[in-house]
Amino acid sequence: MFWIGAAAGADIEAGRQKAQVCVACHGPSGNSTNPVMPSLAGQPAQFISTELFQFREGNRRDPQMTPMAANLSNADMNDLAAYFSAQKPEPTTHKTDPANAAAAPKLAQQFNCVQCHGPALLGLQHIPRLAGQQYEYLKTQLRGFKAGTRADLDGNMTSAAQALTDKDIEVLVDYIAGLGTP
Amino acid sequence: MLHVSIRCWATAALACAVLIVPTAVLAQQAAPAAAPAAAPPSAPPAWQQGRAPEQGTSTLHPFAPQMTGRPASELPIDKLKVPAGFKVEVWADGIAEARSLALGDKGTVFVSNRLAKNVYAVVDRGGKREVKTILKGLNAPNGIAFSKGTLYVAERNRITRYDGIEDKLDNPPEGKVVVDNLDPTNQPGHFWKFLALGPDGKLYFNIGSPQNITMPTYMQAAIMRVDPASGVLENYAQGVRNSVGFDWHPQTKQLWFTEHGRDWISDDSPEDELNVVKHQGEHFGFPYCHQGDMLDPEYGKNRSCAQFTPPVLKLGAHVAPLGMRFYTGNMFPAEYKNNIFMARHGSWNRTIKQGYDVYRVVLDNQGKVVKYEPFLTGFLVDEKADPPMWGRPVDVLVMKDGALLVSDDYNGIVYRISYKK
Repeated sequence: MFWIGAAAGADIEAGRQKAQVCVACHGPSGNSTNPVMPSLAGQPAQFISTELFQFREGNRRDPQMTPMAANLSNADMNDLAAYFSAQKPEPTTHKTDPANAAAAPKLAQQFNCVQCHGPALLGLQHIPRLAGQQYEYLKTQLRGFKAGTRADLDGNMTSAAQALTDKDIEVLVDYIAGLGTP
Repeated sequence: MLHVSIRCWATAALACAVLIVPTAVLAQQAAPAAAPAAAPPSAPPAWQQGRAPEQGTSTLHPFAPQMTGRPASELPIDKLKVPAGFKVEVWADGIAEARSLALGDKGTVFVSNRLAKNVYAVVDRGGKREVKTILKGLNAPNGIAFSKGTLYVAERNRITRYDGIEDKLDNPPEGKVVVDNLDPTNQPGHFWKFLALGPDGKLYFNIGSPQNITMPTYMQAAIMRVDPASGVLENYAQGVRNSVGFDWHPQTKQLWFTEHGRDWISDDSPEDELNVVKHQGEHFGFPYCHQGDMLDPEYGKNRSCAQFTPPVLKLGAHVAPLGMRFYTGNMFPAEYKNNIFMARHGSWNRTIKQGYDVYRVVLDNQGKVVKYEPFLTGFLVDEKADPPMWGRPVDVLVMKDGALLVSDDYNGIVYRISYKK
């Protein structure tokens, strides 16, 4: 059953070669040290390939990523997804405000974060891991979902973000960015 | 006050609705600021709506397709099984999220998207099969139908037509709108549409229940039809939670359709349905009665299943029946004539997974179901794994030579099943 799952058949070594241009922004092995750039290391492979697809198809737009994805084939995307998903995430260096750390778990329940991203916000299949993700990146995504400007495969995130206030976003993001990864 | 309300009713009901909605939204936004500690939970994601509190720790979740697909060379195609004498092979791959299938007069096979935004055309040119993206940037264009040179596309909010499309695959024309405003709520849920042309020349499509189990509006949980010449809409069948596959019996000309039952009751109930519409306006039970004989725990109170049309066949719980067509080709053995082939996308809301196959439904001369059996299997590998399968059938299509095409949105592949004596 080795061929079940997104990385089946995709080539980690080929992905490593193709990822050389990616790590300039996403960090060595996809561990970003830039708060606005998402970490890719250890993200679910299907999430990575799905987002690359969304960039290439013009559904998700970003001045830096759109041109990077424009010429990738499906095979390229599957290789990149296999490579980054196989990398070990570095522990986060983000320091969460203790008040936010106390308040946020309730918000993560109330706003249904855990319903799709899982109890420890580690993601699964096409759902990204949030735990330990970069602070500014997370904030930009949540604001984009709320504004309806961030591409969303099935509408669930756009819908979930509508109830969030700016304060909720601040608290949640500060908490999530400081969460540990396995 | 009175003056305002009279003007409101005198202008248009819609204007009232528009005034009311922002007020409600403002009220919701204001509430947490007034009492942050007592804020109620937000609405759950659409797929989780209707889940009982004791199911809160469930790890069941829907599966998304691999948008980048997987080449056939990387998949265990040799594990696919069909009955003796039949052969299954990969007909085309690299079609992102291959969903509904439609056949053009000149042999073009059109393939649609649900979560992506494209429509593809597969053509044989000079002995080579070519996949072309002909339409881009559409809004969940799951429904496609072809008739007399025209491709019709059902997006979540509208139906458009592309005339003479087969002669313009390299330079497709702008779509002309047949009907618009089919999705006023724009919510996640069952927003994608199946589309087919009836024997009356009208376009039939579903509007699904917006969530798992809620009270639908008059134009939700329905099969509707529109006259492409006039744009006039009608409700055709009611109480249909979500149907993403239908066809007309070649002899009786009655509409047969598949329907997904609600989630979060149990592994074995309610069962999904195969239904027949005998007259316009029939009600098939949703949200009051499921599978013809099971009242909904909430909406079924003070109702009786006798008020609704029961299914002609219970298909099994959560098997997720999608595309279905009557077999009208001449390639398969005679006993397959007018059988139904049904793609079963497979269960997510079930601890032991089932489906992920194509089934054959045999009817007798009275149109009664006499057999319901597997036809194409092998996608389901481990019924307890997550995910349990490596492929998911979505639609079936009878080709001119009598072969059967099957789409697989998980891998972006179309298979061909043929028969040789």
